[in-house]
Amino acid sequence: MSSIIIDTSASRGVTGLLKFLLESGKIDAALTMRNDPENNTYDFGLITDASNLDEAVPLIPVMTVNAGQVLSSISISRKKIAAVLKPCELRAFVELVKREKGSLENLLTISYTCGGVFPLDTVITGQIKELLPKYRKTILNGEIPVNTRDTCRACEHFIPMNADITVSVIGECEPGVGCVMHLNTERAVEFTEGFGGERSDRKFDPSTLKKTLDARLAEKEKLFASVTKDGPGLDRLLDTFGKCVGCHGCSSVCPICYCLLCDFESANFDYNLPYFEEHLSRKGALRLPPDTIFFHLGRLTHMSFSCVGCGMCSDVCPVDIPVAAMFKKTGEKTAALFDYLPGRDVEESIPVMVYKEEEFPDIG
Amino acid sequence: MTDAQGKGAVLPVSKDPGDAILEFLRLAVAKELADAVILPMKVPSGDSFAWILMNDVSLFEGAVPIAAAMPVQGAKALRSLTRKGPGNLTVIAVMRPCEIRAAIELEKLGQVHTDNLILATYDCPGAIPLQKYVDDPGGSEEHFSLMRRSGKPDNTAKPVCHYCENFSMFDSDLHFGYFGFSEKEVLVIPGSDKGSELLKGLDLDLAKDLSDWKKGIDSLKAEREEARKSAFEETGEQLRGFSGMQSVFASCIGCHNCQSACPICYCRLCYFDSETAQQDPDALITAAAKRGGVSLPEDRIMFHVGRMTHMSLSCVSCGQCTDACPVSIPVAGVFSYVADRTQRTFEYEAGRNDGDPLPLRQFRKSELPGIHELVKNAESEEPSHE
Repeated sequence: MSSIIIDTSASRGVTGLLKFLLESGKIDAALTMRNDPENNTYDFGLITDASNLDEAVPLIPVMTVNAGQVLSSISISRKKIAAVLKPCELRAFVELVKREKGSLENLLTISYTCGGVFPLDTVITGQIKELLPKYRKTILNGEIPVNTRDTCRACEHFIPMNADITVSVIGECEPGVGCVMHLNTERAVEFTEGFGGERSDRKFDPSTLKKTLDARLAEKEKLFASVTKDGPGLDRLLDTFGKCVGCHGCSSVCPICYCLLCDFESANFDYNLPYFEEHLSRKGALRLPPDTIFFHLGRLTHMSFSCVGCGMCSDVCPVDIPVAAMFKKTGEKTAALFDYLPGRDVEESIPVMVYKEEEFPDIG
Repeated sequence: MTDAQGKGAVLPVSKDPGDAILEFLRLAVAKELADAVILPMKVPSGDSFAWILMNDVSLFEGAVPIAAAMPVQGAKALRSLTRKGPGNLTVIAVMRPCEIRAAIELEKLGQVHTDNLILATYDCPGAIPLQKYVDDPGGSEEHFSLMRRSGKPDNTAKPVCHYCENFSMFDSDLHFGYFGFSEKEVLVIPGSDKGSELLKGLDLDLAKDLSDWKKGIDSLKAEREEARKSAFEETGEQLRGFSGMQSVFASCIGCHNCQSACPICYCRLCYFDSETAQQDPDALITAAAKRGGVSLPEDRIMFHVGRMTHMSLSCVSCGQCTDACPVSIPVAGVFSYVADRTQRTFEYEAGRNDGDPLPLRQFRKSELPGIHELVKNAESEEPSHE
């Protein structure tokens, strides 16, 4: 496959591409992050008029919402959309497509080698303004920027999987001086026809990002060790999840948790008085509302195969439980049992949907 | 309120008012006047509290009746226990006045059954924001104990607590008053027949005149009213026009945490999370094309306006929404400001147990005359079809 090299920053290159796609009528809308400088906030814009792309910051290291979740409802459309996604957002979206909660059919996916995102707190406090200039230098050196989300620091999947276009943000060129777009699919070639820049047959070479990969893997080992440093068991779970307030914010921002009504919020989890009486007579005490830990275990069972470690859950937790680190660690272990990697391939079935006559012989 | 005689019983304090309350509850359970109690208890990690329903008196020691933070609104604990009916257990719940007020609203909405509950409140100095408590439990406890002694929220307290006028006895069955006694004694004041009976059963005489305590409460109330005026003035200014609303909620990410932390928002599936609220993708892109683009997730401001319409008549200004917001929007400040106005419009006060139905459940032949005026004016401006 080929690439396009443009003499501008990666961010301007992507914005330029979106502009071209809208103006040439190749797409009906573009999905990208935007900045509202007046209120110092970021959001996703579904933009139809190229003149509105001035506020676009397609590669900003901020995730207000996982774009996979946003795309889920709008992608089931006959309209053509180009979406700029972080690698984990694209992976989450692919997991949703497997669940028939989205479609890749009319979508042009643009993703990039991702340096990780800053927690929402740094946006709210304005701290991000000081962090950004340093961030670019750090990721170029193959190092991990300070203050990014813990799961980003420990993310080894920072190279997009099956994006139509991969933009080099880490590696290949100095930030601000050059933009390299790798066209990975026929669709990418077709959509970029007529778009400027220098064409090249340069291939994406992951080996140039080995320093980043090694740093991330080392960070992952540390992170995974930290969440289970006190050993296994229900008591340790209580130590971690005991302060959960049951807001279920982790599930509402999770791109994989797509249920409109979570089972744990349904009537299945309303109890009659005898339930409480029985617990009281047996244990002398009972937490209200009940099922605090059960909720997290239930959610793990439901979605951990598909967890992409985006870190939205930790970011919204009002009591700072390291939800994302716990879920990423568990998810990787459960997925590995099935030789599964969420977001790798849209044709790859979710493990629980596959019937094998023989599996886990040890369990029997 | 049935403290018409203006008297209360006195509990001795050994360490702090919480201990006196615990001793009172121990006696009540030992004498089988109650089957169980609901109290906050520290979580294992020590940096927050959880509601515990308990009947084993030996476990009471670990409870903290007057807790510095309010991680889960107490009314939600009562809802989980009694949503399906009152049951046979007599349970005493000791909670902040705003928690009991929310429970009373939930009862009107059919979500809580108080028949076998004895609802007890205490003089509340305010609560420490959850995030602050989790970050620094030790420092927060120090601040809180000073607040408890003075009866005044300090700069670490939740913003809404600074101007809460309902921090002392409201429509509870029982109230523990301790402001103004240098933590040397706690008054137990019955607020209903249930409360009076419990005191009788414990042989507690209503020996102490309440006028000194009331005087202290009234002067604290006056201070909070002042604070309320200036806070509302500021909020009103911020909210002016649609652009005001837009800028206050600009950083909203649409997680709906404010709604899930709200004790009044009891719907299992919020309309705004339902399929009905999800726009058809083709229609969305068509709508976007009209304006050149839309912000996603859609309707983030509409959600707040909708929630306000649905629950502001019952809002008790507990501040849980702000605590739960991951992007630090002052949700409670806005909702409290609006609730103050909607409730005054209907001459309604959320959390009153005086038999007044919810305003939207009540038909009055004549109400809101100002609106008729508005409609009439609008009609007269319409072009005639004759």
